[in-house]
Amino acid sequence: MKFEIMRERLVEGLNDVMKAVSSKTTIPILTGIKMDVSAEGMRLTGSDSDITIQTFIPAEEDGKQIIRVIEGGSIVLQAKVFGEIIRKLPTNEVEIEITGNFQTHIRSGKSEFHLIGLDAMDYPQLPDIQDDRLFTIPADLLKTIIRETVFAVSSSETRPVLTGVHWEVKDGELVCVATDSHRLARRKTKLETLPEGEYSVVIPGKSLTELNKILDDNSEAVEIVMTNQQVLFKSKHILFFSRLLEGNYPDTSRLIPSEHKTTVTVNGRSLLQAIDRASLLAREERNNVVRFSATSGSDVEVSSNSPEVGKVEEQLQAQSIEGEELKISFSAKFMMDALKAIDGQDVVIQFTGAMRPFILKSALDDSILQLILPVRTY
Amino acid sequence: MHPATTGRSNLSKNKREEPCAPLFFMYIRTGRMFSLFIERSSYGKLEENDDGAIPMASRVIFHIDMNSFYASVEQSHNPDLKGKAIAIAGNPQERRGIIVTCSYEARAHGIYTTMQVHEAKRKYPSLILLPPNFDRYRIASKAMFDILRSYTGLVEPVSIDEGYLDVTDLAVERHAVDIAREIQTRILSELDLPCSIGIAPNKFLAKTASDMKKPQGITILRKRDIGEKLWPLPVIEMHGVGESTASKLNGLAIKTIGDLALANPGLIKEKMGKNGVRLQARANGIDDRAVDPDSIYDTKSVGTSTTLPVDETEEENLRVIILSLCEKVANRLEAKELAGPTVTIQTRSSDWQNRTRSITLKNTVWKAEDINRTAWQLFTKHWNGEALRLVGVTVSNVADKGELTEQLSLFNFQEHAKEEPILDLMSKLESRFGKRVLVKGAKEAKLKRSTTGSETSFSKDFLDDHERK
Repeated sequence: MKFEIMRERLVEGLNDVMKAVSSKTTIPILTGIKMDVSAEGMRLTGSDSDITIQTFIPAEEDGKQIIRVIEGGSIVLQAKVFGEIIRKLPTNEVEIEITGNFQTHIRSGKSEFHLIGLDAMDYPQLPDIQDDRLFTIPADLLKTIIRETVFAVSSSETRPVLTGVHWEVKDGELVCVATDSHRLARRKTKLETLPEGEYSVVIPGKSLTELNKILDDNSEAVEIVMTNQQVLFKSKHILFFSRLLEGNYPDTSRLIPSEHKTTVTVNGRSLLQAIDRASLLAREERNNVVRFSATSGSDVEVSSNSPEVGKVEEQLQAQSIEGEELKISFSAKFMMDALKAIDGQDVVIQFTGAMRPFILKSALDDSILQLILPVRTY
Repeated sequence: MHPATTGRSNLSKNKREEPCAPLFFMYIRTGRMFSLFIERSSYGKLEENDDGAIPMASRVIFHIDMNSFYASVEQSHNPDLKGKAIAIAGNPQERRGIIVTCSYEARAHGIYTTMQVHEAKRKYPSLILLPPNFDRYRIASKAMFDILRSYTGLVEPVSIDEGYLDVTDLAVERHAVDIAREIQTRILSELDLPCSIGIAPNKFLAKTASDMKKPQGITILRKRDIGEKLWPLPVIEMHGVGESTASKLNGLAIKTIGDLALANPGLIKEKMGKNGVRLQARANGIDDRAVDPDSIYDTKSVGTSTTLPVDETEEENLRVIILSLCEKVANRLEAKELAGPTVTIQTRSSDWQNRTRSITLKNTVWKAEDINRTAWQLFTKHWNGEALRLVGVTVSNVADKGELTEQLSLFNFQEHAKEEPILDLMSKLESRFGKRVLVKGAKEAKLKRSTTGSETSFSKDFLDDHERK
């Protein structure tokens, strides 16, 4: 194998696949990155066996040569060392040549490295996924969906299925739900390309977080293929495979209250800032609790009190307050996460009681729903 | 020995540098008559610094230490036991057989606290062994602290049989030694119990002083005395230094308290951390902790442990034992209206390997089932099947339930929602009539209950007898 490549393109590709490589892997060869070179271009693969990322660098793009392939072939190189070397090479042209016994020579300018590679035959095969049943979502929308839900997954392994986001495709709609049992985020999206059949999978939160990092913020379509054990996201040059979580995701639809006793409409940004200020006096050991009350008039009050630190009270003009008086305590952190996800001008908050979940929606559309369980104070 | 001689030994050494010492000396020998005359001139200088300046916050602290408390209480209940070698011990049949405390007469025969019962019996076969009677000790303790509180509100109980007093304000009117003498006499005549009192400008020195003469001693320890009285002692003798700290210090070639006082502060900080810095300050007679009457209310953890009748390897038996420990802890938390987020499990294997494992939860726990669920999870995660001779469960970082919060979850909010109507009503009444106008029935009953579901010698539950003012 022998080829020359533009250094910056190789760095970009490595950055993407490195996101899947973990130093903690139990399979030694997975600390490496696989490189396959053919006349069409180069494929880079990185994996921690939960996530596998493959990126393709074409030999030629828009009439411009990126790789000059002299001889094709495959090799696995230690991800960390290889990545660092490429990043620090002196010129933008890199020549890589494999000689006998997986000896790898990397040349750039007057610098020459000799790396010991591993046999690409020992690298695990990519999951075999039939892509005849797929649907597509524009990359920027996909990123938004991930951002609006993934923060609500559980960080505790006590119920592993809750560390993932539940993706359900039904009636031309994708419904994504994440909950750590203390709050819940739900996002509904109308699909433009109708998939064949229905799907219900749980994607690890960590996978989605990584996917969000490597997708470009543009409207190019991402193809999504779901199987029983794997999900594949396919963009122009990237294949992103993720293992799915096993186990039944709890039915959350019946947990979302449909009747409300108090409805408050308020500017989301002002409320976010008020909660942020009040949280300065909320303590983590006490679940970051802040109080919210809508008792009379058109103002709501946000307050917090830590006996040994101090207290804060703030009035906030609401657009409207309907229904019964209400006093409720909740985690400032959960509230801020939810408000950031909605990111709209006005939010509608619907309460059913001080010990019951309440929901937040954008005043403009119904696609996002955030649910928060209150904090009980004694 | 008459306590006055202690005073003399303290003071006579300072004769040359302390012009008032002879008067002080005379006072102690002759009783109270000179007390008013002397107090300003001699005791006022107790706080003098090396440079001769008198600090603004010069304080007079007593440390009262009851002498072999449990044994003394038994002797006062049954005067036939007076003058005899007696010891309080757990039940030897269940291997809880260690001496909890013993009388001075028993100590003279080589008996000491923590000694195994069978060993003690071998050493002195006529030793009288008594089972502990915690109710008696609690009553005596309360009476003792009541006497202390008749002098000042600044009483800080440390355990069932010791406490600090800040008598700075009283020592303006009367001589500190006079007050100490009166306290000691009252405890002896009213309760028939001996105690030792240390008098010093801070807690550390007061505690050190009360230890210097037992029983029935009164010892003054001034900052300037430490070079002579404290520094020659090995570090292990210092309060706050245990075996492991002592061996660490010895590893730094620090053998005596004086070595520690004069050691390079940078070295101490680097090798021993914050605790080292604190210990070095103490070795230099510096301790700025205030006497805090409320510190007893700051319970930080509630735990219990048990030594098993046999080295246990059966998971099922351990499950039952841990559950019963959790129930005990839950009862005590309930009695104190406390809850905490951290659950710790302790084990001691048959070869005396001690282990603790803990986990901190999102919400605080106080119910037996919640504590047990976490404790059992922790236990099964870390237990490798080895034989255990002791297991314990602790809930820590506890706080008043009134200060606590519980993050509700999708799976439990319904239980809480059931209480909404009553909580609503309470909040409405509170906003009309003020906070605490209503306390829920069950809670009220608990507040009144003074007894606490605990029967261990090391427990601080006796402190519940001290009512918060």
